[in-house]
Amino acid sequence: MKRNPFPLIVLALVLTFLYLPIIVLTANSFNLSRFGGTWEGFTLKWYLQLLNDSQVWLALCNSLLIATGATLASCLLGTTAALALHRWNTRLQTLHYGLIYTPLVVPEILMGISLLLTFTAVGMNCGLHTILLAHTTFCMSYVTMTVLARLQDFDDSLIEAARDLGANAWISFIKVQLPLLLPGIISGGLLAFTLSIDDFVITFFVAGPGSSTLPLKIYSMIKHSPKLPMINCLSTVTLTLTFLLVLASRTLQNLKQLKAHNGHKNGVST
Amino acid sequence: MNATRLFASLAIAAAALTGCGPKKPTLHLYTWSDYIDPELVTAFEQANNCRVKIDTFDSNETMYAKVQAGSGGYDIIFPSSYQISLLAQNGMLQPLDKSKLPNVTANFAESYKSVILNPEMTYNVPYAVTFTGIAYRKDKTGDTPIDSWTCLDSPAFKGRISLLNDFRETIGAALKSLGYSLNSTDPEELKKACDVVLRWKKNIAKFDNEQYKTGIASGEFVLGHGYNGDIAQVMLDDPENIGFAFPKEGFTAACDEMVIPKTAKEVALAHTFINFLYDPDNACKNIQYICALMPNTQAITKLPQAYRNNPAILPPPEVLSKAEVLKDLGKANALYSKIWDTIKATE
Repeated sequence: MKRNPFPLIVLALVLTFLYLPIIVLTANSFNLSRFGGTWEGFTLKWYLQLLNDSQVWLALCNSLLIATGATLASCLLGTTAALALHRWNTRLQTLHYGLIYTPLVVPEILMGISLLLTFTAVGMNCGLHTILLAHTTFCMSYVTMTVLARLQDFDDSLIEAARDLGANAWISFIKVQLPLLLPGIISGGLLAFTLSIDDFVITFFVAGPGSSTLPLKIYSMIKHSPKLPMINCLSTVTLTLTFLLVLASRTLQNLKQLKAHNGHKNGVST
Repeated sequence: MNATRLFASLAIAAAALTGCGPKKPTLHLYTWSDYIDPELVTAFEQANNCRVKIDTFDSNETMYAKVQAGSGGYDIIFPSSYQISLLAQNGMLQPLDKSKLPNVTANFAESYKSVILNPEMTYNVPYAVTFTGIAYRKDKTGDTPIDSWTCLDSPAFKGRISLLNDFRETIGAALKSLGYSLNSTDPEELKKACDVVLRWKKNIAKFDNEQYKTGIASGEFVLGHGYNGDIAQVMLDDPENIGFAFPKEGFTAACDEMVIPKTAKEVALAHTFINFLYDPDNACKNIQYICALMPNTQAITKLPQAYRNNPAILPPPEVLSKAEVLKDLGKANALYSKIWDTIKATE
């Protein structure tokens, strides 16, 4: 039977559209030409400029600080919200679910402007703290949803068993439920971190003096900065770090699986 | 315990966010990206024992939207001329204290008064003046003189021209080529300008605001309608092959200015900063960094030859009278965008 070439063509096209821009960007970060239209030779000068640009690093620090803070806060709030939603099946919880679900579908621009109006109405000056609050607000919904998905497969009889064996509610939560939910919480947290670090629209509205994040900085550089190639360098660095992280986590996972597999085999043989 | 650890890290994050350390006065600037020499900022911080924090915007409109929505706390904002009357009308600016700005009084180049919209300078001090003209490849235009908007019709450059993708700039250029004002609201004049742009459209490669510099630098375009600051950068890289012309029929000028909003916290420090930027040596250094002209008489005489002879940085004095400032047209803007839609839709 002849294989249909169509899926292969689609795959090639998708891969090209996904990765070609990234390859061009990486190549341009080493391009001597300021404008990237033509290849004028290899250089590392944009990387040096990037290293010396305190504004960009300051923005990166702000971004990391906010992303970390928002991730931790939204993991805590999101997990507790998911637990409440899972445990009680009341009308109040249906409303709660609706409220948590809304930020996922509300247009970002609406959320940004309404948050800014709220902050100014209560007389709050905008700054890092308002960005943190805003990011926690929308990240929380994502964590709740991932933890809730995990809870759906959760076997409640495990908790009953723990209680039967004498654990109180707190211990059974810490020792039994939390470890089982942890993968859900972590993946929700990772999602929250990613969303927070590249959010532009909401951040744009709620940012105040001295609290520019990396996306805000990059956006304002695109139109007017003579140092635009620095952005290519920054993206290349981020990309490399991300790939390394993914690679490391995959390797670790494989090692762990291998170990578990071996351990299991040994357990059987003895 | 996991929960305690989580709380502890949250507390640390919160502490880091509120920030510790000695309290120095902080001056907050709201400006365009890379629009001030960072070395000057450091020098100012050391001289005045303060901190300067810079936030950036990408257009007057985004800046206006944010400040109007109530995002206060900026001490100096750098809007374009036309945005200032709007800010002032809404009571968002405070008048400047001229007695604290001796450098401005001493060094402001009066000849540039014609290109600012609020020459009485109650709320504003000009920061940098920008112009729109035609960039061209000397190696490709040969002996053809590039000094007029009519060059855009030249069949010799067919398909090698880029025009700005901005309705005020491009319709404005057409109005000027016909001898009308850039700020015309006369439907007859605008109709004629529309026909001119449609004629140009057949001869050009594309309308573009960002990538034309690349096109000029690489030689893809021979003529590029563009901003002087953008072209100045390209020219400094390749002075042999790239030139900048001010069309003799007239062209647009704009000015970015410094204003102090009502909500500013460090008003005195803001005045000190504006005065500091008007110091001739500082201004001279800054012009070379931003590639745009600060209207400062002494600083201009101190500029190195390469900058003084570059028309994209320092326009020859005789062309200055041909410059016309874009004004906010209010309701007539709709007329322009309608014409622009027609132009864009016509094949």
